[in-house]
Amino acid sequence: MSAQPLPLRFAGVFSRRPGTLGSAWRQPLAIAGMVLGGAWIAIAILVPLIAPYNPLAQTSQLFLAPSASHLFGTDELGRDIFSRVLWASRLSLPLAFFLVTMAVLIGGVLGGLAGYFGGWVDEVVMRATDLVFAFPTIILAMAVTAALGPSLRNAVLAVLVVFWPSYARVVRGLVMSLGQSDYVSAARLLGASSRRALVVDVLPNVAGPVLVLATLDLGNAVLLLAGLSFLGLGAQPPTPEWGSMVNTGTQYFERWWMGTFPGFAILSVVLAFNFLGDSLRDALDPRSSWAVQR
Amino acid sequence: MRFLGRRLAALVLLGIGITFVAFVLTELVPGDPAAANLGQRAIADPAAVQAFREHYGLDKPLPVQYVLYLEHLASGDLGQSEQSHRPVRTDLSEFVPATAELAVTSILIAFVLGISLGILSAVRRNRLTDQVLRVISLGGISMPVFWLALVALYVFFFKLGWVPGSGRLDPGVLPAPHVTGLYTVDALLAGQFDVFVSAAQHLILPACVLAAYNVGLLTRFTRSAVLEVINNDYVQAARAKGMPERTVVLRHVLRAALPPIITVGGLAFANVMTGTVLVESIFAWPGIGQYAFHSATTLDLPAIMGVSLFVAVVYIVVNFVVDILYGVVDPRIRVA
Repeated sequence: MSAQPLPLRFAGVFSRRPGTLGSAWRQPLAIAGMVLGGAWIAIAILVPLIAPYNPLAQTSQLFLAPSASHLFGTDELGRDIFSRVLWASRLSLPLAFFLVTMAVLIGGVLGGLAGYFGGWVDEVVMRATDLVFAFPTIILAMAVTAALGPSLRNAVLAVLVVFWPSYARVVRGLVMSLGQSDYVSAARLLGASSRRALVVDVLPNVAGPVLVLATLDLGNAVLLLAGLSFLGLGAQPPTPEWGSMVNTGTQYFERWWMGTFPGFAILSVVLAFNFLGDSLRDALDPRSSWAVQR
Repeated sequence: MRFLGRRLAALVLLGIGITFVAFVLTELVPGDPAAANLGQRAIADPAAVQAFREHYGLDKPLPVQYVLYLEHLASGDLGQSEQSHRPVRTDLSEFVPATAELAVTSILIAFVLGISLGILSAVRRNRLTDQVLRVISLGGISMPVFWLALVALYVFFFKLGWVPGSGRLDPGVLPAPHVTGLYTVDALLAGQFDVFVSAAQHLILPACVLAAYNVGLLTRFTRSAVLEVINNDYVQAARAKGMPERTVVLRHVLRAALPPIITVGGLAFANVMTGTVLVESIFAWPGIGQYAFHSATTLDLPAIMGVSLFVAVVYIVVNFVVDILYGVVDPRIRVA
């Protein structure tokens, strides 16, 4: 006898109605998200081949307006803004993926432990999340980065500090409700060990909601990192980074191209992840659906 | 009443937790806080260093320092700003009204616009209007607010000249006598209509920029809250009575959809505070956001901690108020 009720095992990942996830991917919004996100990932990989100039090369051609030779113009040190915007993707995208992966791991493990064991473990983890949630994200991230000293590494650490709690809460809640559900009890009664029940029966159902949250958080990570760099607490010059480029743009207000293009890069990347995350949520949770509601 | 008591206890605990976080962060800072805080004076004046160390108990063990820190907080002492060389508390009280005016206006705009668009989206669900609104609201939450501020200022001030540039009033216009510190309200109280117009003109663009994220958030939230109830039996009954759809939606649907929407209030406040830190300096808006921005860029740690602590305390109070409001709006969880 198998202890795994197969149809329910993937209930969180695949909708009970077959083909729902498949059709979700064919929606315009999901496609737009994939194209946009894919384009940025391709740019990040291929940037040495496609960037027309060295992003750090200073020239005497300061403040050139956008033209055929400098698509996005040049900045206060004569550097090509187009090349800098493209190169900055190599910083923001991998960092966003790294951050969200780490947040999922840390939050997931802590939340899983809290939900499974309850008691004081649960109490400690949940009060810690309460503390983080007591601050608006950028305020806490700003305070943490400033205390540790402004650098990209510390900004990443700060974002991690504010990101893990949402995963801990989601995973804890799911593990708690699933832990009491009949099919997990059934598995335990059939002799599955607690570890087996956790990995085989609970984890797959946690994966869906976490995936949605993680996709949306990829965008949030890019936004928050850019915000910290805008405050001068993240990437330090001369590293090309979108947030700090927008900051420079605010100092040269009339040269609109200096801030506009890097900011547009942020918007398009975040939009891509939000399109994807939102479509994913539609597919996984029909109740919050923006799409077909019969 | 019990519910209220529990919430209050949680509020106090969270408040203490926040001070603990701020204290730990301050402890993380490498280097000598006395030297950092007193600047040039630390070298010239050993007595001042000694006094500083004694005041903050820097030679005592950490738990004692924490208790001292709490005592200082209780008496309103947030430390000295390294930039302005004034008590952080004095700085904050000077800058809070400007941010309060901006934040309240922005949240009002966001709620009115967000709820309206959300209702529209739900009523027209799955049609073109709905799809367009979905993209717009996702755009709102994807927008780097500091960039939106820059672009909006460039377009509406520099190119079109529709709004005045920066600050809270036109040059030469004096604020009305100080009552609340909110220039628009003070001007109305004093009956100085021209001052009110100038203040409102300066207020509108930053308030709208700050509202962008929350409009996106509230549109989405309102839409799903309305869809939850729009086909309930009592709504159908209202329709069956022959009530016009507009009245059905505004009177019956919205009433039931309101409680979940209210819960977004706390989050909306957090978003606005995040926005002010990034945006106020672009508009030269003399609020705590600009103060935080300058403190961050100059690494003025006491000021950063002061702002963080202040915002966090206001934030948990706002969340508390939202909880109470939720009870008021939803009779099923009445507070009393």
